[in-house]
Amino acid sequence: MMASTIRGALRDNRALWAFGVLALTWLAAIIFAQGFNSVASVHYLVQTASFLGIVAVGQTLVVMMSGIDLSVSAVVALSAVVCAQVSAGSGGAVAILTALAVSVLVGLVNAAGLIWLRLPPMVMTLATGTVIAGALLIYTNGSPRSAQIPLLDSLANGSVAGIPLATILWLAIAAAAVWLLHLSRLGRYAFALGTSEPASRASGVPVPVTTFVMYAACALLAGVAGLVLLGFTGTSSLTMGNPYQLLSIASVVLGGTSILGGRGHLLGTVAGALLLTLLTALLVAWNLSEGLRQVSLGLLIIVLLLVYARERRTT
Amino acid sequence: MRNRLETAVRLSGRAARGNLDLVGLCGLLVVVLVVYQRLDPTLLEPATITILSAQFLPLILAAVGQTIVMLTGGIDLSLGAVLSLGMAVFVINTADGTMSVVTAMVIALAVTVLAGAANGALVAYAGLPPIIVTLAASFLWGGVTLIVLPQPGGHVPTGLVRAYNLGWYGLALPAIAIAVALVLWKVVKTTRFGLTLYAVGGNEHGAFANGVNTRRVKIVAYGLAGLFTGLAGIGLAIQTGSGDPTIGTPYTLNSIAAAVLGGISFFGGIGQMRGTLLGALLLGLLTNLLLFTGISTFYQMILQGVVLVAAVAVKTLATRERVA
Repeated sequence: MMASTIRGALRDNRALWAFGVLALTWLAAIIFAQGFNSVASVHYLVQTASFLGIVAVGQTLVVMMSGIDLSVSAVVALSAVVCAQVSAGSGGAVAILTALAVSVLVGLVNAAGLIWLRLPPMVMTLATGTVIAGALLIYTNGSPRSAQIPLLDSLANGSVAGIPLATILWLAIAAAAVWLLHLSRLGRYAFALGTSEPASRASGVPVPVTTFVMYAACALLAGVAGLVLLGFTGTSSLTMGNPYQLLSIASVVLGGTSILGGRGHLLGTVAGALLLTLLTALLVAWNLSEGLRQVSLGLLIIVLLLVYARERRTT
Repeated sequence: MRNRLETAVRLSGRAARGNLDLVGLCGLLVVVLVVYQRLDPTLLEPATITILSAQFLPLILAAVGQTIVMLTGGIDLSLGAVLSLGMAVFVINTADGTMSVVTAMVIALAVTVLAGAANGALVAYAGLPPIIVTLAASFLWGGVTLIVLPQPGGHVPTGLVRAYNLGWYGLALPAIAIAVALVLWKVVKTTRFGLTLYAVGGNEHGAFANGVNTRRVKIVAYGLAGLFTGLAGIGLAIQTGSGDPTIGTPYTLNSIAAAVLGGISFFGGIGQMRGTLLGALLLGLLTNLLLFTGISTFYQMILQGVVLVAAVAVKTLATRERVA
């Protein structure tokens, strides 16, 4: 009885699985690998996980309504490059606001394409991503700047009570997103859209508003991640967002959210991003070559997905 | 009887609509070709055709592979990695000159077919959506490529590179390769497998209920996509004369763009290979046109994005009313 309840809970709550796997992996890392048992290592892990984590939280918002945002990588670079470029002339605060405004604009354009042009999310976000990458080349003439913005620097590298500020920002964003997705009315609409778009349209879900808010939020978060990254590295580059395109989607799915939408929990994504960062750190600690590292990461993702992220065959 | 007639009418209506799309694409292609001819009067000379076909071959063949996967209702995000893998395996085997080029090709193709079939097996048996499987597989095959060829290098026999890019006794080898590949697809399409490919993409449960081994169809489809992707990688290696472990990455999204431009549905079962061919040609020619106009190549990415959105939007908006 007890066992079957637990089994039922596990089957229905794949986000819990993500936290379980994360705990096990971390335990294994502490026991079997060197250098994962210190406070400093935990500090560094949660700090580096926050860059991916912030993008992945945004990605969760759109995946839940059975969308996908392939332009996040471009937006990460866009926000950092724009911020670095503008700060040279007008100072940090203006630069940050401009970067965030441009990011939100990209999200709005994505949503507009989905709603008014009826494009599949993959095509639309892929296209905006390509356009942004090209626009950045023209804007920077191929050589983006570096920038030292004190606010971003302390945000990315500072800590309060031993917890990195970047991580605190990430968790605060995650909390806000939990409210948006799981407690607000718009969130319920997003879940409805993810389960069945025709049914939600028929029952009066305001599709345009939901789409605009979720895609704008996703792009905004990618922009925030770009700014934190800019603060962390002190320099912007045209390719700095590239890893986040696939990794953010992988975090969402490893966090137990169905890529088809409508099922999952945002907190699972937090575990997913931590898990991916931990796995990457482990592979680096084992001194594997770049190629072997990628192979192992790919295989590990496949195995983990097989363990707990399979779609039920009833659909 | 009435029912069957209605179905027939509806089907022919659908066919006409499909052809209308293709007519539109053809018209666009003709316009682009005319503009191209004005900017480059040598367009129809054999040397230009050889160079252009060598340049377009990788995208065309990659798009053919992507189309096969998309027809089953799937998508292959690992295509770029598999393309690089085929290229890497090919160039390390031709590098020392002891192995014949044909053997190296066969080995490279065997590797890419196996990689594709492995993707297909995961999609068919694991109950994971294709987008996720191939996403994880893109790490996997990208890593294998880096192990095979850690940095750009390798070597393709110079004679072959010259013959391929400059013509061989006046023959445009890349154009012939594209034609052979398309004929191969045509043959595959007429087999029972070709029919079941469309059936699985159109209605998987229906196909299964009618006795189609849907799992095997998917594995073969992804394997076949691996074959065409591998050919694209080999073509790219011969065109450039060496290998590069990360050169394939843009082909993932460009192949999807070409297929979507050509009218292949994301949901599977709908679309024709000639559409994909037109889509890939259009993308390639437009990119070249930009080079001629002298604007910075930086603009080519913007143009690609805009063309993709415009083409798909026009198609969706034009067909929506008739569906609704």
